[in-house]
Amino acid sequence: MFLKRYLIPRLIQYVLVIVLGITAVFFIPRLLPNDPVLRTIAEMRARGAYLEPGAMDKIISDLQQMYGLEGSLWEQYLAFWGRLFRGDLGVSFFQFPTPVIDLIMTALPWTAGLLLTTTILGWVIGNLVGGFAGYYSNKQWSRVLDAIAMVVRPLPYYIFAFALLLIFAYYLRWFPISGGARLGMRPSWSWPFIQSVLWHSFLPAMSILVLSAAVWFQTMKLVVQNVNAESFVTYAKLSGVKEGRIVSRYVIRNALLPQITGLGLSLGLIFSGALITEIVYSYPGLGTLLYNAIINGDYNLIMGITVFSILAITTSVLIVDLIYPLFDPRIRYM
Amino acid sequence: MSMKNNTILRTERLHAHYILDVYGKAKVIKAVNDVDLAIQEDEIYGIAGESGCGKSTLLKALAAAVEPPLRIISGRVTYRIAGVEVDVSTLTQEEKRKLRMEYIAYVPQGSMSVLNPVSRIRNTYRDFIESHISVHQKGEAFALAKEHLTELGLPVKILDAYPHQLSGGMRQRVTIALATLLKPRIIIGDEPTTALDVVVQRGVVQLLKDVQAKLKNTIVLVTHDMGVHANIADRIGIMYAGKIVEEAPTEKIFSAPTHPYTHYLINSLPKFGDKSPRESVPGSPPSLANLPTGCPFHPRCPHVMDICKQEMPGYTQVASTHKVACWLVGEGTHGKAA
Repeated sequence: MFLKRYLIPRLIQYVLVIVLGITAVFFIPRLLPNDPVLRTIAEMRARGAYLEPGAMDKIISDLQQMYGLEGSLWEQYLAFWGRLFRGDLGVSFFQFPTPVIDLIMTALPWTAGLLLTTTILGWVIGNLVGGFAGYYSNKQWSRVLDAIAMVVRPLPYYIFAFALLLIFAYYLRWFPISGGARLGMRPSWSWPFIQSVLWHSFLPAMSILVLSAAVWFQTMKLVVQNVNAESFVTYAKLSGVKEGRIVSRYVIRNALLPQITGLGLSLGLIFSGALITEIVYSYPGLGTLLYNAIINGDYNLIMGITVFSILAITTSVLIVDLIYPLFDPRIRYM
Repeated sequence: MSMKNNTILRTERLHAHYILDVYGKAKVIKAVNDVDLAIQEDEIYGIAGESGCGKSTLLKALAAAVEPPLRIISGRVTYRIAGVEVDVSTLTQEEKRKLRMEYIAYVPQGSMSVLNPVSRIRNTYRDFIESHISVHQKGEAFALAKEHLTELGLPVKILDAYPHQLSGGMRQRVTIALATLLKPRIIIGDEPTTALDVVVQRGVVQLLKDVQAKLKNTIVLVTHDMGVHANIADRIGIMYAGKIVEEAPTEKIFSAPTHPYTHYLINSLPKFGDKSPRESVPGSPPSLANLPTGCPFHPRCPHVMDICKQEMPGYTQVASTHKVACWLVGEGTHGKAA
């Protein structure tokens, strides 16, 4: 029943969303008024290169092939899917001729490592602290935390990140000012490299962690205050259930339900990178890659990163949907 | 009056008010005003009244669950524990926590959300049991729960269910079973039959009666449903605007109601064979934040006199077990409830 009534339609929906998303990714750049081939030629000319008419035609057809611009729109579309299934996202133009997939795969571990850790840690810390602060909302420490969150949360992220960078990297010089690891180090599982990565990623991680924990804290606190007024909590209190049990198994457990959905969504967003973080800290992740791709008009790369993030978001939403009944027994897929 | 003191739960001139801070101005909601109760062992005491008359607040005070913004302004609530009267305001938080369920249990209004929606009934039972008795072996709480359910004639397999999988009536039975698990001396029921259909209500009332007959303990039952009171209560207190305006054994309340408000409550009940339209109390209950002077019922009372608008009468004993606070009957006096 579950398979036929829920899982299969849900999977069809999943595939459909991906197909539509990727189709949009295919069409939108093609609707733009500028032609990447002509643009490349113009750039070559601007640099003073002289081209023979025959060589010019050869270059144009080569470029069209690399951009997947051969034939009618429909032929291009089919060819695009064909290449996609082979994992071929074309070659990058701003780092010619590295394949897009290689660039993404190099940047992905940096972004995933940074954002996976901070997203999960921020969620855990924010919800735990917010849960207790919501339950004990009359206590002094809870009000202090609330005030801190209220000040921190509305700070524009780029200002906060930049302030951290200025204070701790520029003036105090406790942390490096840019990069993902010491220059010239080869990525490996050796201790010096890991140490260098941790040291370099500390400030970007903190900038994300503090703000995201503040957001989770505030939402969790509100949800907890609502759950606290539910009659099952009143009933447990009036029956003398120990406070520790009430906080953990009654209040926080129920308040976490909407937060789990939120976590799933923010995990999906990881794969489009943390653009501002990576720019501010010159961090070698997907965000920086996307930024460079955009300013250099590298269509293949933009499309590649977008395809990745479509896959990541739809997949994480699917996973949250499928595992949700584990957390809330009232959700049943029949 | 027998010489032996059987009073287990007593309030003396109890005033409990909500003190709210509304934009810097204190707002006082006088939910319980001058209530004297003396509830006996092995008795089912019903508290009746319209919505917004302070019934639930009185229950909070009785259950020693007074939390800001609710405050006890004056008077006291005492429990008789092992023959000794104890003022609940002298108890520590932990002492009060221990008393709950073991000595005084609470049965909430039957609604969807009384049981933790994300845990199985067995886990709720375990949480409640393990908070009160130290369990040495795994499964001991479960065994106790099973035994208790069997004793009450409820199916044991409900322990494996989640609350949303049970019917409203079954959920309420589960709640009653849970509340009575540790054989409390006092059970406080806050509208336990409200939100259930009449057939299920009957079953729930019967279950409460059975439990009381077995434990020979005290039930304080609050409901606006006079039919339920007629069915289960030994004695009834009629509450109006935070005061008990009349108190008598159930049959007296129904056969010889004295307070005009009680008259209205009883006359609004449908009767077999009587097709005349039922009359309800004219007007609506007063705001507890802004009570009328004198007797709070005077704006709605058909027999209102001048004195009613100025002063609240004390209690007059119209019979040894029947007291009423109404100027029609007399000036009355206040004293320690028997």
